[in-house]
Amino acid sequence: MTTTAEGAIAPPRHTPRLLFRQLLAHPAGSILLVFVILQVACITWALLHPDDFRYLSPQNLAILMRAIPVLGCLALGVGVLMIAGEFDLSVGSVYALTAIVMAVQVDAGMSAFIAAPLAIAIGLGIGVLNGLITLKFGLPSFIVTLGGLMFWRGAVLLYNGAVQVRFDPEPAFTGLFAGTLFGLNAAFLWFLALVFAFYLLMHRHKFGNHVFATGGNRPAATAIGINTGRVKIIAFAIAGGMAAFAGILATARVGSVQPGQGTGLELQAIAACVIGGLSLHGGRGSVIGIFLGAMMIHTITNVLLLLRAPGFYLEMFIAMLIVGAAILNQFIERKGTA
Amino acid sequence: MVDTPILELHGVTKRFGPLTALKDLSFHIGEGEVIGLLGDNGAGKSTTVNLISGIHKPSSGHLSVDGQQTMFTCRSDSADAGIETIYQNTALVDSLSITRNIFMGREITNGLGFLKQGEMREIAMEVLKSAVHISGIDSPDKLVGELSGGQKQAVAIARAVHFKRRVLLLDEPTSALSVRETEALLNQVLRLKAGNVSSVLVTHNIYHAYQVCDRFVIMSHGTKVFDVAKEDTSITQLTEYVVLT
Repeated sequence: MTTTAEGAIAPPRHTPRLLFRQLLAHPAGSILLVFVILQVACITWALLHPDDFRYLSPQNLAILMRAIPVLGCLALGVGVLMIAGEFDLSVGSVYALTAIVMAVQVDAGMSAFIAAPLAIAIGLGIGVLNGLITLKFGLPSFIVTLGGLMFWRGAVLLYNGAVQVRFDPEPAFTGLFAGTLFGLNAAFLWFLALVFAFYLLMHRHKFGNHVFATGGNRPAATAIGINTGRVKIIAFAIAGGMAAFAGILATARVGSVQPGQGTGLELQAIAACVIGGLSLHGGRGSVIGIFLGAMMIHTITNVLLLLRAPGFYLEMFIAMLIVGAAILNQFIERKGTA
Repeated sequence: MVDTPILELHGVTKRFGPLTALKDLSFHIGEGEVIGLLGDNGAGKSTTVNLISGIHKPSSGHLSVDGQQTMFTCRSDSADAGIETIYQNTALVDSLSITRNIFMGREITNGLGFLKQGEMREIAMEVLKSAVHISGIDSPDKLVGELSGGQKQAVAIARAVHFKRRVLLLDEPTSALSVRETEALLNQVLRLKAGNVSSVLVTHNIYHAYQVCDRFVIMSHGTKVFDVAKEDTSITQLTEYVVLT
């Protein structure tokens, strides 16, 4: 490691370290690293002990693919909103409400292909409402959507009572959202497609740039002429719409809706975002991070289940993952703004 | 040189409820002129800046651009008139790259709104090379959060110049800068003047203003108390006006 000519003489020796540093500088770099290490470890262990650790068994992979999209879709919506500098705690309730409305309507004879867009429209509408209340009254979105969390959960009971609703749509609908294609679960494919769409929106489209600017430094974004209020309201709408979409995926898979379903999902979605490297202050994060965060929560849960950890331990590990990720993010953020 | 001012304030008064922040304020900014807007805290400097940038509307009186009476109702109105305000800490987004900051809100896109990243990056590189003579910025991909205060301001100014601004309003530009960065900034103002870009330095620091300004407008209690060309005054006289009025 000599001083001056080092860069010129020995670039190959230097490059991996530089690449490593660049990787860690990316908002999702550290989570990607942890995720890859975890996968390599799991796959190696599963190959060495296929009977003991059934990580790669088709059944287990199918379980994972069915479980991830619901949390993943919620996290995508919540994540965009977090990057814009706001929170939505009501997504778990919106997820239940829109699913119930869809199931009840289908039960009453409406086509699922109409009821599902209706559910998404309700989700978008609730998101816009959250945004309007937050911005018009200058309130923290945390409080506004905490109200939303309780209000819409109550609305579920008001709308249809505390009873389970069967969801029995036309087979084409079930095939579209809960079938399989090339051996892959349809919901998982929807999730992958949405991750790609969100990547384009947030990292390749000017709207994404406006979202990052709004969350990163709202006065600066306003001063340059970005309508930050509109950006935030659209982000709220996306969070609501994605909650409804997650509800559609879950309902199509299970074939029924419980009025209590989705409780606590809003916190898991925020947790996935934090694990994925999103800043709690807004302006920092990536779609790949949200994706990995959601994958991570389910992978860890899955591994612990395969290792036959008792159920009540699981949340402790997820909790440690969240706090650990938050500490790491804080560290990276401080370095970024030093 | 100041025959047809770029921007002129005519008897502008601004009230916030019972408070009169500006009272019958008139002054002008000529082409390629550097003006020092001086005054103590509460003199009305910030209100004046917000008014010129279109954030506040005058309660009475009006503004004119190139001799035409006009009304700024929002930030983009003033931008359309070629005026850019550069605030100390609110100009850029730390978590975005230099390129993304330069094109923030004015992205180069295709018809669907998708970013033309290559083109934006190339222009950003040019902007950095031509306008910012502050060392240490080697790549437009760098996050703004990694830059120093002076570098950030240089990027904000370079952005304004790239988008063909004719008047830069610099709000307390030197308050957080090191000595060297302050020198670089003041030199940049002079270079812009050579390119016919006007600047308004809103500052407490009479010494910094005296280094580069052609004319001084001193405010006190919401109104103009002194308007003088550099050759007709001295630092001592300016200080007296700021302190004693």
